[in-house]
Amino acid sequence: MELCDRSAHELLDLLRSKEVSAQEVVQSSLQRIAAVDGRPGSLDSGEETEQDRGTVHAFISVTAEQALEQAKAIDQQRAKGEPVGLLSGIPFSAKDVFCVKDTYTTAASKILANFKAPYTSTAVERLQKQGAIMLGKVNLDEFTYGSSNESTAFQPCPRNPWDTSRVPGGSSGGSTASVAAGEVPFSLGTDTAGSIRQPAAFCGVVGVKPTYGRVSRYGIIAFASSLDCPGPIARDVTDVALMLQAIAGADPHDSTAANVPVPDYLATLEQGVKGKRIGLSPDYFQISYMDTESGEIHQKPVQEDIRAAVYHIAEVLRSMGAEIIEDVPMPNTRYGIPAFFVISRVEAASNLHRYDGVKYGYRTPSTEDDLRVMYRKTRNEAFGLQPKLRILMGMYVSAAQYSEQYYNRALKVRALLRRDFDQIFDPQRKYRLDALLTPTTPTTAFPIGAIYGDSVLMQYADQFTVTANHAGIPGISLPGGIASDGLPIGVQLLGPDYSEHTLLQMGRSLEIGTQDEAWRTQKPAVLR
Amino acid sequence: MTDYEVVIGLETHIQLNTKTKIFCACKADSWDDEPNTNICPVCTGLPGVLPVLNKAVVEKGVLLAKAMHSDIRMRSFFDRKNYFYPDLPKGYQISQYDLSLASGGYLDIPMPEGYTRRVTIHKLHMEEDAGKTKNAGNLRLIDFNRCGVPLVEMVTGPDLRSANEAAQYLIRLRQLLRWLGISEADMEKGHLRCDANVSIRPKGSDQLFTKTEIKNVNSIDNVKNAIEHEVERQIREVEAGNRVHAWTLDWDEEKNELRKMRSKETEADYRYFREPDLLPLDLTQAWLDEILKDFPELPLERKARFISEYKLPEYDADILTGERNLSDYFETAVQVYAGDPKKVSNYLMNDILRMLNESGKTANQLKLTPAYLAEILKMVDAGQINTSTGKNLLEKVETSGRSPKSIVESEGLGLVSDDSAIRAVAEKIVDANPKEVETFRAGKETLIGWFTGQVMREMRGKADPKLATQILMELLKK
Amino acid sequence: MSEEITPEIFNHLVTLAALELDEKQAAYLRRELNQQLKAIHELEAIPLDEDLKVTTHGVSYNLANSPALREDTWQPHPNPDEILAQAPQVDEHYIIVPDIPHEKLD
Repeated sequence: MELCDRSAHELLDLLRSKEVSAQEVVQSSLQRIAAVDGRPGSLDSGEETEQDRGTVHAFISVTAEQALEQAKAIDQQRAKGEPVGLLSGIPFSAKDVFCVKDTYTTAASKILANFKAPYTSTAVERLQKQGAIMLGKVNLDEFTYGSSNESTAFQPCPRNPWDTSRVPGGSSGGSTASVAAGEVPFSLGTDTAGSIRQPAAFCGVVGVKPTYGRVSRYGIIAFASSLDCPGPIARDVTDVALMLQAIAGADPHDSTAANVPVPDYLATLEQGVKGKRIGLSPDYFQISYMDTESGEIHQKPVQEDIRAAVYHIAEVLRSMGAEIIEDVPMPNTRYGIPAFFVISRVEAASNLHRYDGVKYGYRTPSTEDDLRVMYRKTRNEAFGLQPKLRILMGMYVSAAQYSEQYYNRALKVRALLRRDFDQIFDPQRKYRLDALLTPTTPTTAFPIGAIYGDSVLMQYADQFTVTANHAGIPGISLPGGIASDGLPIGVQLLGPDYSEHTLLQMGRSLEIGTQDEAWRTQKPAVLR
Repeated sequence: MTDYEVVIGLETHIQLNTKTKIFCACKADSWDDEPNTNICPVCTGLPGVLPVLNKAVVEKGVLLAKAMHSDIRMRSFFDRKNYFYPDLPKGYQISQYDLSLASGGYLDIPMPEGYTRRVTIHKLHMEEDAGKTKNAGNLRLIDFNRCGVPLVEMVTGPDLRSANEAAQYLIRLRQLLRWLGISEADMEKGHLRCDANVSIRPKGSDQLFTKTEIKNVNSIDNVKNAIEHEVERQIREVEAGNRVHAWTLDWDEEKNELRKMRSKETEADYRYFREPDLLPLDLTQAWLDEILKDFPELPLERKARFISEYKLPEYDADILTGERNLSDYFETAVQVYAGDPKKVSNYLMNDILRMLNESGKTANQLKLTPAYLAEILKMVDAGQINTSTGKNLLEKVETSGRSPKSIVESEGLGLVSDDSAIRAVAEKIVDANPKEVETFRAGKETLIGWFTGQVMREMRGKADPKLATQILMELLKK
Repeated sequence: MSEEITPEIFNHLVTLAALELDEKQAAYLRRELNQQLKAIHELEAIPLDEDLKVTTHGVSYNLANSPALREDTWQPHPNPDEILAQAPQVDEHYIIVPDIPHEKLD
């Protein structure tokens, strides 16, 4: 097995025992990138080529030299017997919304293509402090707006390593693709409606959306400030636990990062699921979709092999000692996307106000005598369609005359969504669940170009994941099978606030319980 | 011709004198700094930054709310006010909209004419300041040094009825802010900014008519001028049969005239919503008690007390409650002296004030402490020194920092009260001036002053003059 | 059902948002907005009860887990010039932008 395909915890063992050097680890990752990633995303990419269609394009920028230098320094420290960090020598990629000092942080948008942050986000800083080595920035939907990664201004957009005619999911598509393709052992993503979990499901990797406020948002280009959660993506649960351990915890730079102690996630990882109460809800096996003609929302059952995979996982967990409780009602699930349309757009529009060509980023090259014209031209020339769509919707539903009808109502619905979870997790009530088991996504990865353009359909790809963002609770997506179309199926576990240790534990049990299943031997197409 | 009543409401922005800005750790005061040097990623609105609330801002806001008799909210919220302007880096200002730190309240303004105007406070909230811009030809130059400085905005009801009242409100407010120690309140430096909403109505009406807003007036005199001009303009318009439009006006202090500003903001919908990067602000009772535990007696209350308790005339009481340090100084001196407060007041209003004006110090910075002043007064009362020595001592103590007692001793300034010493000199003077003695004895008793003066001169001013006079009278009347 | 966001409303939103769009983009965006509004209208069907408390975040914060407020201590940013270096146009330490034309009072 190549070094780059090993998990981070295996690599740490090899590094500690000096069987391999950090430089070898980094070299292996760089070689994999060279072999499968193809062109990195860029603003002036020109026409798509045949080669483009067969490669992954996870990265926007690879900082190979710095990475090798850092690896060299770590090797020297190890050689001298000096103490090294807990993640020393492990390469990672960061979604290009994480500001890292002296690197370009583009948010996959023309408006920030030339922006070099003078400071580093807390999450990246904590990883670097533990000796993890950033290989580069990975691609995403522009400003994290999307569920397919197609909207990036840095084309070619990332492709799903399992089938490069398909999307990797979004908005952390570059993150999950880089991990699935063995380019890095783990990646930092962000999740606002499912942007870690959905692409993790599509790419057959593990992704965690931590509790809101568990990980600092300082230094992350914001989408919806009350919903954004930075989180880890890796190929197995132990790695995700390692990464979360390093980044979680309060931060004096973030007023919403809670003062809750971070448990030792690894210590409890192998404790199993005996006696754990895991629920299944029929509301997560019905897909809502909009009839484009009538505009009405209808429901249909989820794809059969996805349903079957989730139920199979339930069986596996039951055989390991968990109690499975069916028919758990989550009546407000279907309102998750409509409420998200309102709340996230209001915050997004406001968060995008600062991109005006005055202080950083793109400014229109046409010389203007009127500041107002400069604003308009700058924003029009440099924002893609998705940001424009969100800005306009945000303006509309927060306008004084509509805000009661839309924004305030959506906030109340968010409270209802939270209540659904409070009630099933409440130890004093009927269900007293430790977790809810659901499909992560309504479908497997869809083809590139199949949905892009239909913004409603695209947003509904997040219908099973967005509820956790509204409620603030944590969720994990794990590989749970391969569908009849050969594409990964993700299963999701949702738990109460700050229950990441329990979710990781369950995820680890799921991993152990399915480790001999046939689908686990299958590999992404780019690696065959 | 109709008689008009003027209706004025004021919106003041008060720059708090905390050490750092409201949401980041840059300095709050950068008046003397080169542009764009007092900045950080947070106050320049870089991608990915987050605000972190400065505790001291809340505490100073609470002090002001208490002084205004406002209702303080135990849970208040920050909101985003969204609009585009180059001095606003995030494209929104973090402010407080509907559930602000405090609401309601009032400030009583005693007017020189003898009545008191009660000005109601509609709302009091915290917010961040924007940067500064200036024009250069057809370009704007932006400086973010001031961006993020903490402000408290206070909006009054439409309660003021003249430009003079508006000026008095600002004077009282400025005094109060300095008294509480929460702002330097220097209008010329922008620590206190005022927008005036002005309208007129026929006398006797209680309707509110269209108002104009006057902005960017940077001194109390200019506020008064601008309001007076605007009132005249509105009356002219109305008399000519025109409507008053809801304009926003700018005061040009060089030309002494009003200019119409772009009405951009009157159309703006700020789309307020709760700031998601901040948690609700919760004041616990314990914290509130801590903030208010040393809440001072306010100037007008203290003035009334000085009049009733210390029997000071209003003029004195006014001066002695104008500025906190001087006022506290006076009170301490009075308490230590435990004598006639008027005596202390005389020293303060003349010598001490002069000292402060010349040195630029505040009363708490004097080496001549209230205790030392009291000491001097007591020594004069006890006859240990005379009043002119007492006055000279003020300067000596201030320069040297030594106690009056020690200076008197080392320089031998004490009044000689030794009977025999004075007697000896008095006898000498009497013997040396037979002519004057005869004139005195012949009936010109006013000459006693001359004799006393001679003794004083001979003893270099150190004789106790009363005793000297007494002894001389004895000798002369023999 | 007639479109909720008419071309007039749409154009107003575009101005408020400091954007200026070509016709093709405008048409696409307006269509998508109206489609999304249909989904948003789902929210109207839900009965909202009185005891529903609207909060700033889904997770609940309390005194114990809320981070403390910041102490009033000066901590200058190590290199403000790096921030200034990001600006498209700088002159003598000021950031330069075109002006907004002013209107004079009659």
